Amino acid sequence: MILSLKTLRKYEIHSFRGRWLIQFFRVSAVLLIYSFQGGGPALAHIIPKENLHPVTEAYRRSVFVLNLNPIAWDVVHRDAKTIAGYRSSIGFGEKKALGENYDARAVFRELTRDVSAICLHHLSNAVALFEEPEQAIEEVKKAQAVWMAFSEFLQKTDPDGYFRLGQSWLGMANALGSRGLLGIGAVEADREGFNRAAKGVIDYLESNFGKNYEPPKNGKLAPFPVNSPTYKPKARFALRLPPGNNINKQIPRPRQILNMASRGVDESDTPLIAVGDMAFDSAFIYGEPMRSIGMSCNSCHNKSITNPNFFIPGLSQREGGMDVSNSFFAPHANNGHFDPIDIPDLRGIRFTAPYGRNGRFASLREFARNVIVNEFNGPEPEPVILDGLVAYMNEFDFLPNRYLEKDGRLANETTPEARLGEKLFNKPFSQMGGMSCASCHIPSANFVDHKRHDIGSIEGAGSTGKDGALDTPTLLGILWSPPYFHDGSQPTLRSVVNWFDQTYRLNLKTGEIENLTAYLETVGGGTDPYEDTPYYLDAEMEEFYFFISAYEFLAEKNLLNAIDITFQTIALEIRNHKWELQDLQYLPVMEKMADVMDEAHAANQSGNFEQVREKVAEYRALYAENKEVLK
Amino acid sequence: MSMSINMKIISVILAAILTGAAAFGEETKDQTLNIAFISYANPQQVAYDSEAILKYLEPRLGIPVKGFITLDYGSSIEAMRSDKADLAFVDPLAFMMAHEQIGAVPLLLEVYQNGPSYHASVWVRRDGSAAKLEDLKGKTIAYADQVDMSGHLLPRNVFNRAGLLRGNRPEGNFFKQVYFAGGDEQAIRAVLNGFVEAAGISQYAYLLLRPEERDLVMPIANSIESPSHLIMARKGLPEEVREKLKDALLALDWKKPEDKVILDKLYGVRGFSAASLSDFSEVAKIAARHGFVKNPDLFSE
Repeated sequence: MILSLKTLRKYEIHSFRGRWLIQFFRVSAVLLIYSFQGGGPALAHIIPKENLHPVTEAYRRSVFVLNLNPIAWDVVHRDAKTIAGYRSSIGFGEKKALGENYDARAVFRELTRDVSAICLHHLSNAVALFEEPEQAIEEVKKAQAVWMAFSEFLQKTDPDGYFRLGQSWLGMANALGSRGLLGIGAVEADREGFNRAAKGVIDYLESNFGKNYEPPKNGKLAPFPVNSPTYKPKARFALRLPPGNNINKQIPRPRQILNMASRGVDESDTPLIAVGDMAFDSAFIYGEPMRSIGMSCNSCHNKSITNPNFFIPGLSQREGGMDVSNSFFAPHANNGHFDPIDIPDLRGIRFTAPYGRNGRFASLREFARNVIVNEFNGPEPEPVILDGLVAYMNEFDFLPNRYLEKDGRLANETTPEARLGEKLFNKPFSQMGGMSCASCHIPSANFVDHKRHDIGSIEGAGSTGKDGALDTPTLLGILWSPPYFHDGSQPTLRSVVNWFDQTYRLNLKTGEIENLTAYLETVGGGTDPYEDTPYYLDAEMEEFYFFISAYEFLAEKNLLNAIDITFQTIALEIRNHKWELQDLQYLPVMEKMADVMDEAHAANQSGNFEQVREKVAEYRALYAENKEVLK
Repeated sequence: MSMSINMKIISVILAAILTGAAAFGEETKDQTLNIAFISYANPQQVAYDSEAILKYLEPRLGIPVKGFITLDYGSSIEAMRSDKADLAFVDPLAFMMAHEQIGAVPLLLEVYQNGPSYHASVWVRRDGSAAKLEDLKGKTIAYADQVDMSGHLLPRNVFNRAGLLRGNRPEGNFFKQVYFAGGDEQAIRAVLNGFVEAAGISQYAYLLLRPEERDLVMPIANSIESPSHLIMARKGLPEEVREKLKDALLALDWKKPEDKVILDKLYGVRGFSAASLSDFSEVAKIAARHGFVKNPDLFSE
């Protein structure tokens, strides 16, 4: 938060004593309240951003990206610049920029040496400044913050060393003593103890990541402490997304319209749709790393709608998109080149075949299987899972739009600009081969033609390549799913119109561009695109209850794996969502419901089906008893 | 780290643009109500957020209301001692010391989810070996800071009350090693990462962890309830102003959207509750045991 001058004028910062004590209670209270209100940054299922030192953030992100194929060098070089800049700012002097270096191993080696040197610099400062405890504390805090660049890698590969060093950091904090409050409670500093604790960290850093550090010749690029006597070379560590990622869902949630709900259908009569809804929210239909990260279809297609915030450094070019044929999520299906795509809106998807941005899948079922198996490394899905996903996605309706007639023409009450835009939309242009916008985006056919066209928005593999054709996307609801084009390269509908005007030399006048934009905004609009509340836990709990409504159907068919997935998904979802409770006194209820699902899963795996039935009944009873307070 | 740099930058800017302490003090004496807001991590944010309560109070009190930021309780108390602050947001320990030393008056307790109180807990790893206090004998524990009610004195008292800890040394004859980690987040993370077996810190410390980490720790014992953080008033603040303040702040209703905006920005509290000296009678005894309060009878019923 940047303070305005007006605001600054009203404040004076007092630090008569400048103690380093950071009380947390109020911070906790703020977090707590944010959890309640649902609109703040600290929502629980909404993962808060890690507060990392810029060097640590840059290093961790670089390590992630340097292990990708292909490497997003722009990300690495930007982070290398951050680290080099910090290094210079603390007096190391200028260093040759890594901006032209495309040798991953060499770049990783330099970054690791630099980060280690920065941490050592702050630690040495802390030792030297011991007589000035406030400055020494600041240096320790900086050193520890930079140390975090390495620590997540050490936790698994050298747990003993990680433990020793953890105690060293605590030892340093301890040895700095306290100045007390108003002169009371002061504790004398312990120089010897401080130096001893600091030495433990300094020695470790110098021996493992010192100025002569060389990364192992083979394998992943990561700061493994190979010179530590307690290093475990065969250890594995969990895959994590890099700093700067955002897989959080939107709040308020997009409004999802299920056709069955609009028709007043009793949900308990639609078990296959319930299976699909569950699978859509499940990390367990996928393989690693999706399961560890906890991502599902819903992460990108939040409530079936484009998640405009979705971003993973190195895999996304811009928010709301990702390269889905990458080496991180499914190395076996990596296509070896960076081709991020904009996440499509799934509203009305049953009307918009074929599927995939390039329309390579004729059916939704083929498309869904490919996402599970080849984009996100899942096992071959059971037929019931695919059937369920298709049944569920077939329920996604477009937003209602009172400005559109059923045949796609504008209704009478639309603006004059939009009506002029409609005429332009239907006008053939010789520059477009005599076609109009409406030739492909057929108003009476939900603004699609079910065909693929190369409009020149994609760079093909060669000058005569035929791989630039893309599926015609619907225009319904697009106002709510920027950016546009297959790669999200057009930020607004107006920029889309401008692109066509310039690419096809349409020579549109400014007013015509505005009219056409107004038309697209009208067609792409719709009523109430978002839910009118930031609180949605009760809706989620109701949805989990819907998931389990499929139990009898699955049990009757003896579909044990799908039952397992259902229980695991509900348990994980409840644990993810429980921090959204407005009243945390009901946490034990949600924990109990998750535990019951774990027990049902265990019973199902051991073949104790009577117990499974009991646990399902127990879950339903818990929900019925508490649904009014689980919100 | 960046926070500290920011604070320094702001200090420099503010030093340049403010008219100086003398003018500030005179304004206080004359007609302006000056409030010391404590910042634990981000003074810019606190400064920005506190605008809401200043705007709320000014018309209700009928006098100018201004705020300033302190980075520690000692600064708040010193500001009040020199009449530069009429009100200050403090924790119970700082208040008791301020009351004893400069006669500060308890005005309103902050209300959290469970009311105007909170407690400390002894946290362990859920998959660790300790399930009760006795299991921690010969083990390590981290507190937040030596001078911290919920991050040291209250949890230490848990062991005193259980008869496990005696004497003046933090380790007593019970712990192998006691660390003062530098804050609640550092202490709870020390438990999470297995650097220590336990942490004695606030009941809300787990909220400083990432959501997926929170279930990995659990409390095995709680301290007595302490009055929550509070607003204290300068001894000489006119009764009329105090009463108007109380009325205005007690009227804030968390359930009203317009009030909730103000409260969310005011450390995220749910409201306020009237405070009295006797609220502090039990915690004063604990503070006295460690020398922070000389006369706990000041807070007796």
